[in-house]
Amino acid sequence: MATTTSETGSQFSTDLPAALVHEGEEVAAGTGPWRLAWRRLRRNKTALFFGGVFVVIVVLCLLAPVYSHDVAHIGPATQNITGSNLNTCPPTCVGPTDIPVGPSWNISKYFLGADSLGRDVAVRLLYGGRNSLEIGAVATIITMLLAMILGIAAGFLGGVADNIINLILDVTWAFPVVLLGIVLGTLIATSGIGPLHSTTLMSTALIIGVVYFPYVAKPIRAQVLSLRQREFVDAARQQGLGNVRIMFGEILPNLASTIVVFIPLILANAILLEAALTYLGAGVQPPNASWGTMLSDGISTIPAAFHNVLAPGIMLVLTVLSINIFGDGLRDALDPRSKVRIAH
Amino acid sequence: MRKYNRSLWAVMAVFAAFALAACGSSSSSPTSATSATTPSSSAAPAKSGGSVTFLYGVAPQSMDPGMDYTTQGAEINWVVYTGLTTYAHANGTAGTKVIPGLCTALPTVTDGGKTYTCTLRKGLVFSNGQPVVASDFTYTLERAIKIPWGGSGEFMTPVVAGATAYSNGKASTISGVTTDNATGQITIHLTAPYGPFDNVLAFPALGLIPPGTPFKNEPTNPPPGVGPYKVTNIVPNTSFTAVPNPYWAKMDIPGIPAAKVTVNAKISSNIDANALSVLNNSADFFDWADVIPGSLLPQIKSQASSRFKLVDLGGTTYYIFLNSQHKPFNNLDAREAVVTGLNQQAMNRLGSGTLIPACFFLPPYVPGHPTGASCPYNNSSFTGNIAKAQALVKASGMEGYPVTVWSETRSPRQQWMTYYTQFLNQIGFKATQKVIADANYFTTLGDLKLHPQTGFADWNMDFPNPVDFYGVLLDGNSILPTNNENFGETNDPYVNSQVAKLSAVPTADLNSVAGEWQSLDKYVAQKAYVAVFGYETFPFFASDRINYGATVFQPEYGWDWTSFSLK
Repeated sequence: MATTTSETGSQFSTDLPAALVHEGEEVAAGTGPWRLAWRRLRRNKTALFFGGVFVVIVVLCLLAPVYSHDVAHIGPATQNITGSNLNTCPPTCVGPTDIPVGPSWNISKYFLGADSLGRDVAVRLLYGGRNSLEIGAVATIITMLLAMILGIAAGFLGGVADNIINLILDVTWAFPVVLLGIVLGTLIATSGIGPLHSTTLMSTALIIGVVYFPYVAKPIRAQVLSLRQREFVDAARQQGLGNVRIMFGEILPNLASTIVVFIPLILANAILLEAALTYLGAGVQPPNASWGTMLSDGISTIPAAFHNVLAPGIMLVLTVLSINIFGDGLRDALDPRSKVRIAH
Repeated sequence: MRKYNRSLWAVMAVFAAFALAACGSSSSSPTSATSATTPSSSAAPAKSGGSVTFLYGVAPQSMDPGMDYTTQGAEINWVVYTGLTTYAHANGTAGTKVIPGLCTALPTVTDGGKTYTCTLRKGLVFSNGQPVVASDFTYTLERAIKIPWGGSGEFMTPVVAGATAYSNGKASTISGVTTDNATGQITIHLTAPYGPFDNVLAFPALGLIPPGTPFKNEPTNPPPGVGPYKVTNIVPNTSFTAVPNPYWAKMDIPGIPAAKVTVNAKISSNIDANALSVLNNSADFFDWADVIPGSLLPQIKSQASSRFKLVDLGGTTYYIFLNSQHKPFNNLDAREAVVTGLNQQAMNRLGSGTLIPACFFLPPYVPGHPTGASCPYNNSSFTGNIAKAQALVKASGMEGYPVTVWSETRSPRQQWMTYYTQFLNQIGFKATQKVIADANYFTTLGDLKLHPQTGFADWNMDFPNPVDFYGVLLDGNSILPTNNENFGETNDPYVNSQVAKLSAVPTADLNSVAGEWQSLDKYVAQKAYVAVFGYETFPFFASDRINYGATVFQPEYGWDWTSFSLK
């Protein structure tokens, strides 16, 4: 199989299996690996569709202040238990036995109903999406940064450094997520950790980022162990480049496809973990909304008011599904050989 | 004691729970809580024999009485391990009365309240047939201290003479307890007069057990006891069976009925499913310490009204503590603003209508509750007066002061504190909420270094004596550096002196000082050291098979298993 080695030592293949080449299509000489990957992705209609779904969800959530201010005229934390505050629930927003009013299907007034504190579910759904996606994105960045730095260092340096970093990875991996969430959540709430003196979105993102980085660092380390034996690394050493320059200038670009594939996976899991951490008091703090807090709050009203969990549940499923399917398409586009191997 | 209900809700339960979804009608009026008195006279004649299924949402901490300190465990251990004293098997205030248990009469109190003496009944045997002797009490007390039982540090070790030295390993036995196996006499010397000691002797942890029982928690092989029931087939955190004690009837202890049915207890954390099982008669009892989801209440009330009641057991107070040592609540106007403005009816809605709005710290069945007295600040409908509260905050000079509201994660406690936070902002403070995992909540607040300003608290009586509330929660002398329960750091000299004086009055003479306790409770309400927002009512829900009218809702222990019978 012909391979093209770019200046950065990329391993992308320009030799497309026949099944992936459209009839009559020609691949121009010198077409870069990223362009080729984009062409493969473009042909994957399912991945593109779900990528579009994710974009729509993000845009809707970003427009939460517009909906809240100009359409629903109610904030995400505005409570209305007896209906007397805003006089918008006939007769009350929350019944005597904690059953909130259901969807009105009126876009400007409790479109998806109220929760147990009389808050507008639709408004909280959009604001909650902002928070959940923000936590997921920041947690993903933290995870990937930690994983890249420690994974590359462990794989490249080897020896004592590798042993120490491996120990850190193993201990973090083995530590029960639930316990870690409770401990960190309580610590941050009471005495703070460094600059994190109260439970903010950053705190939750940090907890999730720390939990997940071993899952990415270990595969990166494994890949680096193989890459450091390659000729281009020897060549870089011969040129007098230092370890740091080699690790992050020569080896890191070769990990691009691995990193890119992990990003949507970690993002999806981070959003799910945020929902779980909310039960432990280590998630988003009230009155801020997130899909996790909405699920947590709505569990107790399921039999009579399941709209409180249905709405955030559907959004969570749609978001995670679209990220995962798009991520699969991205992986196939970046490394079609994996698809061919599976078929054999 | 704190009621630790550990509910684990998985996100995927969202989808599983859809399978349990049932259409329910909304309720237009809240259920009025019942303070049940004696069993209904319309109850069908009791029938002995048969078995029933009892569903726990939370497992007892341990089946070993020397370890367990939960309502779930006490509920069964009370009828397996009888102490020198016990409680009447009756509803309402009658059930708060201490009666002789294994002793022939209530202990004689002498030496200014420092010496308790009683004589063991003759012919007592454990549920394995082994005879009971007086020295078994010493062994039982030593074991409870050594394990240690959760309440021993408060009710036993510092109270009984020689117990501290024994606990520290400086003595081989408790010098303050002397027994005579020939006569059955038991004499207990205290370090100082301690009025509720009769109640302490009634704890299941002091239910007599045979000597030689290992000094360690035995959750799967608990020792035999002397009681109407004995426990078998224990599968930890899953199930156990309570069968009638074959030796009990022969002992014929007055006031303590024999068991009539076998109880198959199962632990299932899916509270919704438990409630539906009882509704559909596939199980017989829903544990009173679990919370029926508000969304199921209308359905249960409409379909099972003859076998469902929300009962005020008269021993639980839900309140918001206000730290009177630190700003802003070291100011009386600021505290008064909270009590004046808080809408207890809204809190009740969030609690699925199971709260009785209230203002006094002592709940109804604890002697000293100011029955019939008017609340100093709340309006009669308990809906709160926001305008007056705002004026009080302005007058206090604390407007805009930052306040942290502490809360647990579980529903509805988190919702209560979310509402309370919004209320504080509404009346002029700058409040934010901090949520702590349930498992850590009280331990975190109990660290005095934290100086929590305000937050959720509750207390379920260990025994019906005001000392159990004031001595632990509001006495300045009870403030501890860790495991503190006086979260508001209340340290009022008048409160401290009254608690010290009244706590020495023996349980048998409690009624003689009820008036003084009532005055103290009114004083505390006037000072707004705490913002009481309700007394909890508990669900007593059983299947159609049960002779519901004959069941007893014991105020100390909930369901009285000796009253269970089939129609």
